Amino acid sequence: MSPLKIIVKDAATGPLLELVGELDYSTAPELRELLPTLPLQPGRRLVLDLSGMEFCDSSGITALIAARHHAQAAGADIALAGVPAHTRRILHIVGLDQIFALHPDSDTATRS
Amino acid sequence: MARSERPDPHETGAAAAPGAAFAALLEDSAEELYDGAPCGYLSTLMDGTIAKINATLLDWLGVGREEVVGRKRFTDLLTVGGRLYHETHFAPLLRMQGEIRGIALELRRDDGGRVPVLVSSVVKHGTTGEPLLIRSSVFDARDRRGYEEELLRGRKAAEAARTQAETDRARLQDALAVLQQSLLPDVLPHVPGMETAAHYHTASPDRLGGDFYDMFPLDAKRFGFFLGDVCGKGPQAAALTSLTRHTLHAAALHDADPVAALTTLNTVLHARYAGGGDPRYCTAIVGTLETDPATGQAAVQLASGGHPPAIVTRADGTAEFLPTPGGLLVGIVPHARFAGATTVLAPGDTLLLYTDGITEARTGADRSTLFGDDALLAFTADHAGRRPHAVIQALVGLLDSFGKGLDDDTALLALGVPAPDQYTETTP
Repeated sequence: MSPLKIIVKDAATGPLLELVGELDYSTAPELRELLPTLPLQPGRRLVLDLSGMEFCDSSGITALIAARHHAQAAGADIALAGVPAHTRRILHIVGLDQIFALHPDSDTATRS
Repeated sequence: MARSERPDPHETGAAAAPGAAFAALLEDSAEELYDGAPCGYLSTLMDGTIAKINATLLDWLGVGREEVVGRKRFTDLLTVGGRLYHETHFAPLLRMQGEIRGIALELRRDDGGRVPVLVSSVVKHGTTGEPLLIRSSVFDARDRRGYEEELLRGRKAAEAARTQAETDRARLQDALAVLQQSLLPDVLPHVPGMETAAHYHTASPDRLGGDFYDMFPLDAKRFGFFLGDVCGKGPQAAALTSLTRHTLHAAALHDADPVAALTTLNTVLHARYAGGGDPRYCTAIVGTLETDPATGQAAVQLASGGHPPAIVTRADGTAEFLPTPGGLLVGIVPHARFAGATTVLAPGDTLLLYTDGITEARTGADRSTLFGDDALLAFTADHAGRRPHAVIQALVGLLDSFGKGLDDDTALLALGVPAPDQYTETTP
């Protein structure tokens, strides 16, 4: 099992998180604990780059929803970039592709 | 010169003290060693009459030498319990073996106090082998007794704690079992002209399940049903499951429209859970069923909130998904959209609802491949035209075949209209 690595970057639009590895029951808390530490201003955008994410289970989906709640509470926006096909399929089944802005990559997601 | 200046240890004042102590030790008489030894010494005649006793033991007993020598027996120095033990064990063993070591007895002090001791005795024999007297050494065991009592107390406390823990655990398991049962219906209601079957697979008995289903009459003609999956596991998931189940039931009785029931559930869950940083939600398919006695058909109306699509198997041996696209997870946004769908079940048709435990079971030699939607559709197509009980039974066999690849709870609910020639089939 490959652990999760989260790289925090500062993009023009706001925080950019690159998730590399598996986002599941054991690693999802890492993302959820990171959220409150992010400097997120109203009107800014939190971007999660998932192109390096190898696996995402229901706990991972819950962490993505927690990220959305966190961004909304801060008056900010959220976008997902480079969502792998398997996760895109799950997002579609549970209807989350309607409430998350999806971008092909982090470049387009961080363009204001 | 340096050598001659070295002080003689036996003459100079600095080293005189150890030398004097050594000399004093040599002068120590055997009598004084006996009397002032750090343990008690005692010699008795074979009948137990005390012949000789040292000062240490007299001090422990708090009596004078003249009170005991020639006047008392060894057993007179013991407590009642000690005396009994002496008679039944100590004395017979000593007679038999000629010696005995480390026996725990209690001495009775003159002031009524007790001194726990360890006694070792040996019989001294005469030149012709006849027993002459018994020599005993007596060790103060007060510290040791205290330590033993401490150990005993500790063990009793540990045993009490273990008994309490076992009781608590049994009570907790009872509570969990009752709670788990409350999340699922005991039996499905009888629906005239239809057959219903369900199965619940629990992945782990310690982790309360997050899947749920139910079926209930709405009015004289219609039945409501639902099946879903809440996020997470354990007590919080169980609480969410309970809230979801009762909300859906009440909402469906109020307004049978499945989209309306899901919308009510969404409002309730969002109000309850959206505030904190711990989002909780569920996926669910909700539906109604209305049978037409004239045609034998059943009209199905359903709606989905983020749940995998239902499967309909037809009497002609085909199976298809009943798409409900765009339905969102229930409880994460204040105003969610839910997708509806309808179908008609003719005799021989069955509607199958399931949770993703079955499609996300890991298969293959290295358990790296998910079973998947297409494989489930193909499997059900193989059983199309069969009665709901038979379909569920086949699916339970499939779940069993996954072995450890099935690591999530799975709920299955099949509602079907049996074909006329199937009425004679017996229900397994």
